[in-house]
Amino acid sequence: MTPVPAPTEAQVLDDLRAVIREILQMEPDDDFAIEADASLTDELGLESIDLVNIGAGLSERYGEAVNLAVYLADQEIDDVIKLTVGALAEFVLDALAVAAASGASGASGASGASAASSAGE
Amino acid sequence: MSMILANGLRTHVQSLRAVDPQGPAPLVVCVHGLGYDSLASFYLTLAPPLAESGLDVLTYDLRGHGRSERPNQGYRLGDFVEDLTAVLAENGDDRRIHLIGNSFGGTVALSYAARNPERVASVVAIEAEPATARWVERMGGTMRDVIEAMDDEYYLDWVGRNFGSHYQRLTRVAAAVIRSTTLIEDVAADPPLTEQEVAAIACPVLSVVGGEGFQAEEPMAMQALLPSCRTVVIPDQGHSVLVERHHALRGPLLDWIAELEPEWTPRTGDRTGSPGDRAGSRAS
Repeated sequence: MTPVPAPTEAQVLDDLRAVIREILQMEPDDDFAIEADASLTDELGLESIDLVNIGAGLSERYGEAVNLAVYLADQEIDDVIKLTVGALAEFVLDALAVAAASGASGASGASGASAASSAGE
Repeated sequence: MSMILANGLRTHVQSLRAVDPQGPAPLVVCVHGLGYDSLASFYLTLAPPLAESGLDVLTYDLRGHGRSERPNQGYRLGDFVEDLTAVLAENGDDRRIHLIGNSFGGTVALSYAARNPERVASVVAIEAEPATARWVERMGGTMRDVIEAMDDEYYLDWVGRNFGSHYQRLTRVAAAVIRSTTLIEDVAADPPLTEQEVAAIACPVLSVVGGEGFQAEEPMAMQALLPSCRTVVIPDQGHSVLVERHHALRGPLLDWIAELEPEWTPRTGDRTGSPGDRAGSRAS
C-alpha cells in the first residue's frame, strides 16, 4: 500500500478557504477571494470561537497530529490576532512534516515539500 | 462541534483528554466570562497545556455566548450555576472537579462550590470574586455603564483607537449579546450569597488577580473572606489575565492541582515546557 502523499501548500490553502467560507456562511456563488495574506480576525472577521471550529476541522481533515489549539496556546494574543490564512497553512504543513518525520504518519515529507515550494501563490 | 442539551439549552462543549496521565487524571472544568468571552478563551490558552500535562479538561460556552444557544432571557447568576450543574451531569463523570473560572465564570464557579461542596476539589478564580453584596452592587453598576457605552459610537471609536480593531469588533459582538437578551437586567439580579453560603465555600481556592485588574484596590479581599484561599498577584496586568498572561498561569496552576492531588504528577516531556522551548522543538 502506498503512503498517502503530503498535501501541497495550494491544497492546504484550498482546504482552509473551504473551512473559512463555511464558517462565514458564504454562498457557493460568492466570488470573494480569501487571500493567503488575509488576517483571520481583522480582515476576515473571524472570532476566537471560530478558531476552535477551524482547529476541529483541521484535525478531522489531517489527523490529530495537526493540533491548532496546542499551537495557538503557545502564541501571544497579539500573534493570534495577526494570524493569516497563509500562516495557518504553514502551520498545517509543518505539523504534517513533523508527524511524518517522527513516523506518526505515512505522508511523504519530501514530495510534499517540493510540491509546496512550487505551489506558492 | 460538540453540542449537548443541558438545562434545556443547546450547549457547546469541548473536552480535551489527558495526555499520558501520570496517576489518575484529575478533571478540570473551565468556565469563561461574560460579554465577548467564550470557551475559546480557555481552549486556545490554558486548556491544551493542561491536557498535555495529564489533566482531563472540559470547557463549555455559557448560555448566550460562543456557539451555545442564546435564549432571550434567563441570565441570572443562578441560571448559569444551574447550567454548570447540568453540563456536569451530562458529562456523566463522578470525579470531584477542579473549577477554573475567568471573571464572571469564577463567580459562577464559587456559587457552584457553595451549593455543591461535595463535588468540588478546588476553585481557581481568575480576576473573580464571590457573589457577595459588594459584587452584586459593583456588577449592577458595571452593567449599567456597559449598556450606556454600547449605544455610544464614540465609545466604540475609543476602543478601536486604544485597543485596535480586534477589540472594537469584540465589543460589537458583546453588544449583540446584550441587546438581544435580558443579560444586563438579570446578571446581578439574584440576591447575594448569605454568610452561610459563603462559609460553605470550604474547598481550597486560588485567587489569581491582575495587579491592575478589577481587584487592584483590594487584591487580598477574597483571601480575607475565605479561610482556605491563597492569592497570586500578576504584576502590571489588567483584567485580561487569562488571555494576556496564560503562559504565566501554567506553572502555578499545575503546582496547585499537584498539591491537591497527591496521586497525580504533572507530565513533563518534549511536548510541554515553556513556549520558547516548544517553538524551538517544532522549528527543528
